[in-house]
Amino acid sequence: MYKKILILLLFSFSAISYAQNVDVKGTITEGSSGQPLPGVNILIKNTSRGATTDFDGIFAINDVPINSVLVISYLGYVSQEIAVVNSDPINIVLQEDTETLNEVVVIGYGSQTKKEVTGAVSTVSSETLSELAPVKVEQALQGTVSGVNVTTQSGAPGAGLDIRIRGISTNGTNGPAVFIDGYQGDLSLLNPNDIETITVLKDAQAAIYGTIGANGVILITTKTGSKNSKTKVAFNTYVGFQETTRKLPLLNATEYALILNESYAAAGQNLPYPNVSGLGVGTDWQDEVFNASVPIVNHDFSVSGGSEKLAYTISGSHLYQQGIIAPKKTDFRRNTARLSLRGDISDKIKFSSNVIYTYLDRDSVNDFGLGSVLFNALNAPPTLSAYDQNGDFSLVPNTAGLGIEIINPLAQIENTFNDFDLRKLNGSFSVDYQPTDQLTFTSRIGFNTTEQKGKSFAKIVDYGGKVFDVTRSSVSQNSENFNDYTLDLFANYKDTFFEDHNVTATLGTTIYKTFGSGLFATGYDVPNNDWAYADISLATGTGADGVRDVSSYAFDERRMSVFGRLQYDYKGKYLLSAMLRRDMSTKFGPNNRVAYFPSATAGWVVSDEEFLNDSSLINFLKLRVSYGVLGNDQIPNNGYVGQLNGEATYVFDGILTNGVAIGQLPNPDLQWEEAKKFDVGLDFRILDNKIDVTTDYFINKRDNLLISNIPVSGIAGVYAPGGSSPTINAGGVENRGFEFAINYKDDLSENLKLSVSYNLTTLTNEVTEVNNSTGFIEGGTFGVGQPAISRMEVGQPIGYFYGYKTDGIFQNQAEVDAHPSQLPLGANASPGDLRYVDVNNDGVIDTDDRTNLGDPIPDVTMGLNLTLNWKNLDFTAYAFASIGNDMVRNYERTLTDVNQLNYVLDRWTGEGTSNTVPRVTTAATTNNVFSDYFVEDASYLRLQNVQLGYNLPADVIESMGFTKVRLYCGVNNLVTLTKYRGYDPGATSGAPIGGGIDFGFYPIPRTYLFGLNLNF
Amino acid sequence: MKIKTIKKIPVLVILILVYFSCTDDFVDRNPVYSIDSENYFNSEDDFNNGLIAAYDLLQSTYINNIMGEIASDNTLCGGESATDVIGYQQIDDMIHTPVNDQLQNLWNWMFAGVNRANYLLEFQNNVDFEGKDIIIAEARFLRAYYYFELVKWFGPVPLKETRFQLGDETTIPRSPVEDVYALIEADLIYASNTLSYTAPQVGRATKGSAQALLGKAYVYQEKFSQAAIVLDNLIQNGPYDLVVDYDTLFESQQENGVESVFEVQYTDAEGAGFGCLQCSEGNIAVGFNGIRNYNGPLFDSGFSFNVPTEESYLEYDEDDLRRDVAILNIETWAAQTGATYGTGYEHTGYYNRKYIARQGDLNTGDQNLTNPNNYRAIRFADVLLLAAEAYNRGGLSDVTAQQYLNRVRNRAFGDTDHEVSVTGTALTTAILNERRLELMGEGHRFFDLVRTGNGSVIPGFVEGKHEVFPIPLEEIQFSNGNWQQNPGY
Repeated sequence: MYKKILILLLFSFSAISYAQNVDVKGTITEGSSGQPLPGVNILIKNTSRGATTDFDGIFAINDVPINSVLVISYLGYVSQEIAVVNSDPINIVLQEDTETLNEVVVIGYGSQTKKEVTGAVSTVSSETLSELAPVKVEQALQGTVSGVNVTTQSGAPGAGLDIRIRGISTNGTNGPAVFIDGYQGDLSLLNPNDIETITVLKDAQAAIYGTIGANGVILITTKTGSKNSKTKVAFNTYVGFQETTRKLPLLNATEYALILNESYAAAGQNLPYPNVSGLGVGTDWQDEVFNASVPIVNHDFSVSGGSEKLAYTISGSHLYQQGIIAPKKTDFRRNTARLSLRGDISDKIKFSSNVIYTYLDRDSVNDFGLGSVLFNALNAPPTLSAYDQNGDFSLVPNTAGLGIEIINPLAQIENTFNDFDLRKLNGSFSVDYQPTDQLTFTSRIGFNTTEQKGKSFAKIVDYGGKVFDVTRSSVSQNSENFNDYTLDLFANYKDTFFEDHNVTATLGTTIYKTFGSGLFATGYDVPNNDWAYADISLATGTGADGVRDVSSYAFDERRMSVFGRLQYDYKGKYLLSAMLRRDMSTKFGPNNRVAYFPSATAGWVVSDEEFLNDSSLINFLKLRVSYGVLGNDQIPNNGYVGQLNGEATYVFDGILTNGVAIGQLPNPDLQWEEAKKFDVGLDFRILDNKIDVTTDYFINKRDNLLISNIPVSGIAGVYAPGGSSPTINAGGVENRGFEFAINYKDDLSENLKLSVSYNLTTLTNEVTEVNNSTGFIEGGTFGVGQPAISRMEVGQPIGYFYGYKTDGIFQNQAEVDAHPSQLPLGANASPGDLRYVDVNNDGVIDTDDRTNLGDPIPDVTMGLNLTLNWKNLDFTAYAFASIGNDMVRNYERTLTDVNQLNYVLDRWTGEGTSNTVPRVTTAATTNNVFSDYFVEDASYLRLQNVQLGYNLPADVIESMGFTKVRLYCGVNNLVTLTKYRGYDPGATSGAPIGGGIDFGFYPIPRTYLFGLNLNF
Repeated sequence: MKIKTIKKIPVLVILILVYFSCTDDFVDRNPVYSIDSENYFNSEDDFNNGLIAAYDLLQSTYINNIMGEIASDNTLCGGESATDVIGYQQIDDMIHTPVNDQLQNLWNWMFAGVNRANYLLEFQNNVDFEGKDIIIAEARFLRAYYYFELVKWFGPVPLKETRFQLGDETTIPRSPVEDVYALIEADLIYASNTLSYTAPQVGRATKGSAQALLGKAYVYQEKFSQAAIVLDNLIQNGPYDLVVDYDTLFESQQENGVESVFEVQYTDAEGAGFGCLQCSEGNIAVGFNGIRNYNGPLFDSGFSFNVPTEESYLEYDEDDLRRDVAILNIETWAAQTGATYGTGYEHTGYYNRKYIARQGDLNTGDQNLTNPNNYRAIRFADVLLLAAEAYNRGGLSDVTAQQYLNRVRNRAFGDTDHEVSVTGTALTTAILNERRLELMGEGHRFFDLVRTGNGSVIPGFVEGKHEVFPIPLEEIQFSNGNWQQNPGY
């Protein structure tokens, strides 16, 4: 093989060695402005020799053979080739490339032009990022890329977001692997303005990443300066004001009292509010907890430039955001600093480095689940005022009707104290060695090192007999560190044989190691019961004898991989690529450590064929197909070996005594989860490249699904304290879907430019295997003391909701009598109660009648993005729609005296009054068992971002020394249209089984932004 | 120059390949700070640590006690609403099915206990040290304790003397009840022969614990003469006696007292959450039984489950000192003390006073899950009544039976005016009735009814079906046809 390459190389060199040589000089200018272009590459074709233009656009190459061809290329411009015929100066005008087909797309250990790409690859540019002004990078992927869905866990500042590429494929970790400039990293901490492009690999194209590519791969390219360019400074700033997008329509005090009276009377009990006059509207606790005009501030700057051999970028950013609930207790601060440096050590050796420092500080209140601030705000009685006569927080009464969990949300905020700090350094150093024109060796190390600290203070507090009462103060502190490095060594060989046969070969190895540790400790009896004194150094009390106030963990996981890729094309028309990766991972036992992941992609640029050459309609047409096998090893560590990390604690001699027990049951046969990805795609451009369409149909089949803590027979003792079931390869999930993206770009007149893009993704999810005898896995909680409601089961979408189907409301006793008894659900039915369907027709309503009530997976998601430029004004709007996702209403505490949403005003009060909302009563009913009454269609359309900008005229700013001054204002999350009753139809915990259950999600805020972009 | 560079290529390629082949070692690493479960039990400490693990599951038997009581005619389920812990509600109404999370918990936790005892016993021959036989005997006692619960609740269950492995559910059959009892007896005979009446630490099983449980297992099998021998031996030789003042029996001062033959230990020292109830070091039944939204002296709030019926309350004679210790009449109490309370589902006005939350503990969060009240698993009164039953039903001596029964009754009334003098089946009825009154709220009633063929006094009880509970549906499915469901379910 190498011999042949050598012969070919020698042959090509000898072919040009006997020609006559001249010195060549020239100037290169930019087409539209006529300005000289610095930094343009000029290469003698088929050699490594060339030059770069200087600040004045001038270049010179000595000793150029006559009849050789110069290739002139510059990013974003159409490349040109010019034959050298004599030594006359060559003047060349480069035209801006409007086709973007020559746009370079990174594909992992290499790059291709967009034209050559044969996988399903989408990109998001820095322009989109700046238009969207996202607080976190993930937000920029929502609605801008087909096949990608981003969900929020909470609208609280700094809360996590989940990215799902082409659906949920596993009940384990579903997030994609993220690579920043080649090394594995974390998307969520980046400053969005440091990013040049985001590339999403959705299909078998990601197979070069083997074991970690199964959930898709996101490649981040950070901004870097250009060689031979003047120093450029960019400064961006915005301030924003946030408010809630939604308040739920709750009963006011009078309505509440009347409903309570009715429900008590229905059960023959005394009226709690015999006199409702004078109650008025009472307290809307939402008004108490939500704040308006809550600030968010962002500043960032970058300085970049380059000399002949060196290019640099320095950037920094500062973001500060307060929450719309408890602004001062839920704030988020992120500071970043970055240095990027690349240069040429010699003609053949280039280096680049990129280091990012991040500091993050986040405080939070309970914003999720039973006990969250919003849960309290929704359930606290409106008849209670927020403060008592003394100005203290009022206590939610400790009565059976109000339970023991509901507390005054303002007091809850007041008594919440915590702090989280994170310091992270990540970056990479890379050296490219290019011994010949065709061959490049790259050696690269990327690293992340994170130090994080957390502290929370449990203050002595009395809510009047509630579960959140604290009788002894304590402060818990933790310190964790996470480190990893990715070491890559790979070679790229690129050559053309017999003029039309282009080959690129990549061969390499990568090792990855992640390690870290955590230390947790608690101190009791905080002096003065005060946050200011909350530190273990002062809180010297200890837990009871035998209680361990400290704990720790450590981990060390590694991967070792070898990969190769061969890309071939004939005249750029027929494209083929094949990849193979061999992986070893410490997640698996010694016998199952090694796995191979093959894949192949192919493309056919139909528009290059004769029969389409002259088409006036079709400018470009490409067919693509890809198939490959990818892996996933994201499971708990050491699942193949039995460890003594269970819980063994008992009381001897009156004190806690600790022993040892087995933790997770091992599975020595653990193997890789396997994703088989098929994709067929069609890309075309029509009407003078104005319309650009990308379509894909995909089938992702996940086999050997690694199911952690899979339910197994209890006889093996896995349900002991601290024990858990083994991780077993026991499932399969299939996602099928269709993606469609269309861009329309047109200059309607000299002053008016329009760009519209629309994308659509359909998704069908089906579980194909759950091999644990029962055929399903449960998750997700509903209400209090009720069985799990979400399931992963063969033939159903993953995480579908499993409960009773209703068929309206019993209007009269005759209807009740005509229906099978509902007693097995807990109580006999009365008129006004929900009627459950006897799904299996066995004459009784019992647990066997539970069925599929919907699922949280959207059937269709869509994005619509619009950009308009008129003279110096620019306008952008981004919208996202999700259709067919269901959500469970679970923020209502089903107790007799809690407040309710005002839909209860439409309840059944007698025959014919309602067939949807059941009667109110404090008597026993089965209306609160999990049924489709609680499942709502959470389809929504959200106008995510609207922005209007104004660029100051060039003549005005040039005199001030600026190259760009842009003022803008915008609104994020302007409006959400939905039938869903809760706060946020787009929120979910992100759990594959148990997602889409609404405990009162913190809504994402609406933000009014005012910003400035300055360049000079 | 070019040629030179090209020559370097093969060298570099070779270097890369060498690099590949060397670094496969890179992924050979041992888990950090970890002990392999299959290379343990190499010292006395290891055995002690493993024994603690086997004891740990005793704390999860709170569910046996609360659910056993709810299943009987003593109490109603209660709770917040008709759907609050639906598994308990269904058992109360005798409409339970193989789909029942609570029964599944009980199955899982008792087998977890069996497996932890078996883990230690599997390696019992590893090393020798003084006192090892004590540890082995305690582990065997615990295995018997867990298996006794399993056979009471589910009838035939799979048997193994080493850890169950995954897949055993498809091959190991449900052993007949006799075989399960045979293992229980063998373990308890070994334990009672090995252990002494005083344990190395309070809370550990003693000779008396083993004898009492063995006697009980005999009575359940109606092996009355064997039961009489072992129970008599215990009564005569053991250090146990009745506490004079029944009133103090369930308060903290009488924990591990003279009447306690075996007691499950709980503490309020450590927090707990609903996510892992079996992990709690507190007595969860106590919080569940507690008075709803209570404000007043002596007691703390709880979830108002397991509420005694009016009929249970009226079952006591007016002068029976046990009535107001066993059952709290909340209305009377509130009238006396000014206490306030809420009413939950199936509010009867009565609470299971032996095991409801008391004030004075640390209220470690979640305070309803961390009540420190020890569960008196086997009381000396229980032993006396079992012995009485063995002597009477075994036709051995009604006089001895009367003596043992009257010892319990005299304490209950504080005098000898209420002694029983009947014989034969009338005495049997008296003994069984006494068991109800004496052991009210302690989780034994359902099994006493069932083993004596009196299950049908429970509303909704179907003979031939409800004597045992259904095997959890998932387990039947896991067994892949190896296990059949109990009849009627």
